[in-house]
Amino acid sequence: MSSTVESKPAVAVRPVRTPPRKPKPAPGSRGFSPLRLLGMIFVWLFTAVNVLVLYWLVSASFKTPIEIFSKPFALPLQWFERGDPFRNFAYAWNNAGFGHAFVVTVVLVAVSSVVIVLVSAPAAYALSRLGVRGSNGLTNFVAIGMGIPFQTVVIPLFIGMGKLGLTNNLFGMFLIYVALSIPFTVFLLTGFFKSLPDELEEAAAIDGASPFRTFFAIMLPLTRGGLITALILNAIGLWNETLLAIVFLNENANFTLARALFSFYGAASYQSEYGGLIAGVAIVVLPMLVLYVLLARRIITGLTLGAGK
Amino acid sequence: MATVTFDGTTRYYAGNPVPAVDGLDLEVADGEFLVLVGPSGCGKSTTLRMLAGLEGIDDGAIRIGDRDVTNLPPKDRDIAMVFQNYALYPHMTVADNIGFHLKIAKMPKAERLERVREAAELLDLTPYLDRKPAKLSGGQRQRVAMGRAIVRRPQVFCMDEPLSNLDAKLRVQTRTQIASLQRRLGVTTIYVTHDQVEAMTMGDRVAVLKDGLLQQCDTPIGLFGKPANLFVAGFIGSPAMNLIPATVEGDSARVGGRPVQLTRDQVSALTSPSVVVGVRPEGWRILSPAEGIEATVEVVEELGSDQYLYCSSPVEQIGADANQFTVRAPGMSPWQRGDKLGLAPETGAVHLFDAETGARLPD
Ligand SMILES: Nc1ncnc2c1ncn2[C@@H]1O[C@H](COP(=O)(O)OP(=O)(O)O)[C@@H](O)[C@H]1O
Ligand SMILES: [Mg+2]
Repeated sequence: MSSTVESKPAVAVRPVRTPPRKPKPAPGSRGFSPLRLLGMIFVWLFTAVNVLVLYWLVSASFKTPIEIFSKPFALPLQWFERGDPFRNFAYAWNNAGFGHAFVVTVVLVAVSSVVIVLVSAPAAYALSRLGVRGSNGLTNFVAIGMGIPFQTVVIPLFIGMGKLGLTNNLFGMFLIYVALSIPFTVFLLTGFFKSLPDELEEAAAIDGASPFRTFFAIMLPLTRGGLITALILNAIGLWNETLLAIVFLNENANFTLARALFSFYGAASYQSEYGGLIAGVAIVVLPMLVLYVLLARRIITGLTLGAGK
Repeated sequence: MATVTFDGTTRYYAGNPVPAVDGLDLEVADGEFLVLVGPSGCGKSTTLRMLAGLEGIDDGAIRIGDRDVTNLPPKDRDIAMVFQNYALYPHMTVADNIGFHLKIAKMPKAERLERVREAAELLDLTPYLDRKPAKLSGGQRQRVAMGRAIVRRPQVFCMDEPLSNLDAKLRVQTRTQIASLQRRLGVTTIYVTHDQVEAMTMGDRVAVLKDGLLQQCDTPIGLFGKPANLFVAGFIGSPAMNLIPATVEGDSARVGGRPVQLTRDQVSALTSPSVVVGVRPEGWRILSPAEGIEATVEVVEELGSDQYLYCSSPVEQIGADANQFTVRAPGMSPWQRGDKLGLAPETGAVHLFDAETGARLPD
């Protein structure tokens, strides 16, 4: 080689580059497609309608009845002018017996959800992983329970519970909630247990762990995401549950929030207290909405995690 | 420490009338490193899992030392297993993973931590004891799986393709580490792999399985030097042995027009006049085309130290690459595609097999 040739540095030097603001998508993935457009329109319409309803609910809960009917989509004004913006909430809280109902609901929903998961998790584990004979049939049998609308069993259930003296009784309500939620929860959790690799159980068996220990020390911690998802979904469902509460509870002392709201609906609409009524609805709905927003990501990863590999 | 004995061990899977492992007879000496090797689906994992107690044994028995463990659950067998995907507990730290068995065995905490620390030191895992497996590299995970096995000081190690998830370079490093660790600990080890290079480099003895049947169990040298049948001859060695069918007339077979001499014992052991002549790539002498089996170089594979010539020839071979002769030449030899050669086996490099039964003819 002649000495005029420039020698390259021994170590490769990375040239200075400016990265793109956004990496380029795969070719073809961004093209126009009618299905995509339709989907977008649908999703945005759906979102818009829901946001509108939510806006209407929240704004109306701060309005006077006149405002609600004359300017349904305007911002609330009159209670703010009178210096008492939370008047509707105070009215609802004081007249609907929400204070007591709130405590009842929180305790009932919390205890029920926890017990549902406590019963369903071992059941799902046994059905999906212990290889018990007939476990497939049993799993399908449990799944059928999801397909039966509970409205159809309300009357026989009521008669049966009445004979046991468990109507108008929070313990009876708890039993019904747990029983009716088990099929869905078991089904949800079997998906989670199935997605765990077999080798973990085998490793535990070789390490000397009993099936009981394997379940509590290995499998349960690994399905934590699924357990939390099941807990949250049940809590939201039970919190909003109204029909069964109306059928089975008829004494103020036993009322859940949804049940109390139902009674309050009669009283408030009789007195044309529509602002107060809507504030009552907001009191019942908003806590779960907040919970859901806070935990949405967790729930969605939970739901999809169980499904795939 | 203990021996392991398979005694006619047989395993069926539901819906399959052919057993996955069929009457396996195998004795593993105390402290021996035995490798089970064979193509995918030949029953290696099933054999190991029977030993570990993860599969039932339909017929026959397994003994560890003098104990018949055929019907014992895994926890009572005093074995440790390393799984192909490691099966680490994802929610536990490295220390807890390694110490899980000791914890279940209710070993006092101080002693347990000491044992875990010792194992971690042996495997260079000390800095990672507080990490979860997800935050480890593949090689580190593999070592944790090893740690989980050695911390128990069991009578037998079972390892099911523990290196197959590592990249090529790490695999070579780790295989030496495992072999030397095993020799240091002196624990009887059954090691499963589909990679015959791994088998030959690691094992004291290698057992070759095919379709659930044991083909041969011997030292790597014995396996390589005297394959017991056609399957072992083709499976062991890389690149594979050249296997050329021929017909015996009198006391010699003709390969590419050249005679190959048979002894009287060999001729009398034949069940039919067809034999298979086996020559490893390094067993050829390269001559001029007129002097040996005619072959034309198709591909030259230069490895630096050696050179492999893949040649076409009018002479038929058995196996997937019919008509392809593999020949080893010294590294950096001047051979090029299209060159014509003549091949003749070195004296002593010929393996002879009965073409009907596949069995090796007596030497
Ligand atoms: N759980 C099972 N159910 C049915 N057949 C199986 C099962 N496990 C393995 N087999 C079959 O048994 C044979 C041996 O399998 P295996 O021992 O896993 O092979 P290897 O580990 O040598 O690849 C294969 O033909 C495989 O299809
Ligand atoms: Mg296998």
